[in-house]
Amino acid sequence: MTVTTEIADKLSALPEASAVALRLRTDQYFDAIQGMLDNFAGKKDLEIVYVTSTIPSQSIIHALEVLEIPLDHIWFVDCISQIMMAAAKRHPHAIAVESPTMLENLMLKVEFLLRRHRDRTALVILDSINSLAIHNNTKILSEFLHILVNNLRSHGAYTVIFSMREYETEDIRNMLVLVSDETIELGHDLKALAE
Amino acid sequence: MVRRADMPPKEREVLVERERERCATGIEGIDHVLNGGIPRGNTVLIAGSVGTGKTSICIEFLVHGAISGENSLYVSVTEPTTKLLKNMIPFDFFDERLMKQGRLRFVDLPAIYEKLGIDEKAQFSFDEIKMLVDTIAGLVDQYEVKRFVLDSLTSVSYRLEDRELIREFLLRLGMILSAKGCTSLLVSEHNPSEEGYSRLGVAEAIADGVIVTGNLERRGDLLRTLQTVKMRGTSHSRAKYVIDLTTSGILLVPLLKGGSIPGGA
Repeated sequence: MTVTTEIADKLSALPEASAVALRLRTDQYFDAIQGMLDNFAGKKDLEIVYVTSTIPSQSIIHALEVLEIPLDHIWFVDCISQIMMAAAKRHPHAIAVESPTMLENLMLKVEFLLRRHRDRTALVILDSINSLAIHNNTKILSEFLHILVNNLRSHGAYTVIFSMREYETEDIRNMLVLVSDETIELGHDLKALAE
Repeated sequence: MVRRADMPPKEREVLVERERERCATGIEGIDHVLNGGIPRGNTVLIAGSVGTGKTSICIEFLVHGAISGENSLYVSVTEPTTKLLKNMIPFDFFDERLMKQGRLRFVDLPAIYEKLGIDEKAQFSFDEIKMLVDTIAGLVDQYEVKRFVLDSLTSVSYRLEDRELIREFLLRLGMILSAKGCTSLLVSEHNPSEEGYSRLGVAEAIADGVIVTGNLERRGDLLRTLQTVKMRGTSHSRAKYVIDLTTSGILLVPLLKGGSIPGGA
């Protein structure tokens, strides 16, 4: 089973309003994105809110264009481009948050996008908890996740929180266990077999 | 029959909540903070420094009122309404027909000053205050206004020499509007370095409610905040919220505390 189909299958088995911690390796990153956006959300006809604090939204958009994944129902909350002083011109589906430390503003932008598409079920992707942990301490990050996930549950939205295994700490693992209903360990069995 | 005084506190609170009819602002977060909205007829001070969203809150309050069939009036003191309308947030739910139908009206106070012949006056006398309040009350009657905004009280207060005159203006205005079942927001330009929430600290004592908007600097980030300090006639949250001014309306989320320890945020 490929990473793309594995993630789509596992997410499809979950009920709406589920919060999922997705533990993956960096080499699985783009396959995981494709699996979620194309194979899972595309088939379920979900509105996608993609929060990126890892790489600029423009880089993800380029990758999606290469993969021929349509952007019509994908919206970005970009927490990294502004702080990197990236080009002022932004994709019409991307909203900037000034800095990954402005966690409240991040929640507000997600809320804004959900309100604009209230009639559709949403998938909210948080990419990633590790990059947010670079800019925020554990206490504020736990508080943020707790409020965000519960708010998304009340909207009936799926939440997927990326956690890159190479950069995980015990604090991050504990935080994810606390807020998520399910942990998906991507390609875990394949890796174990390879080892 | 059980006397109110004999009721358990929680039941008593529920009863009070039921007794006061609410004027839902239509701003979901604020209505949530106020347990359903502003008690109808209350005069509420919206105090805050520049760029914190006071005017946007007021306009959204009026637009939602107009949409729900309540005639709404905005009295502008500092900025001509034509300029104000050009710069206001293009709310998704705003419909220009509300203005054409007379549900939503904008009036320039300087035009009223001129009409009353007091536009040249640096300071208003007691009689002129009475005349001004009566004129506003006349507009409220004429247009059957249920939601009223004065933006800003501070600008009017600069023409009121002392505390007594400010007090007189507010008491008279609040009493008349409340008697007409009109819920009012009075904008106060408040400098956070000064004590109180209005010029000479009079308005916050008289107003039924005080909602404070602010700028909170945290590690170099500037967040817009909102906090309800006082609201007569309802229990309410006194927590600080972070707000965003969007085309879908004003959105609120709780301010994160980061464990409330030094360096936690």
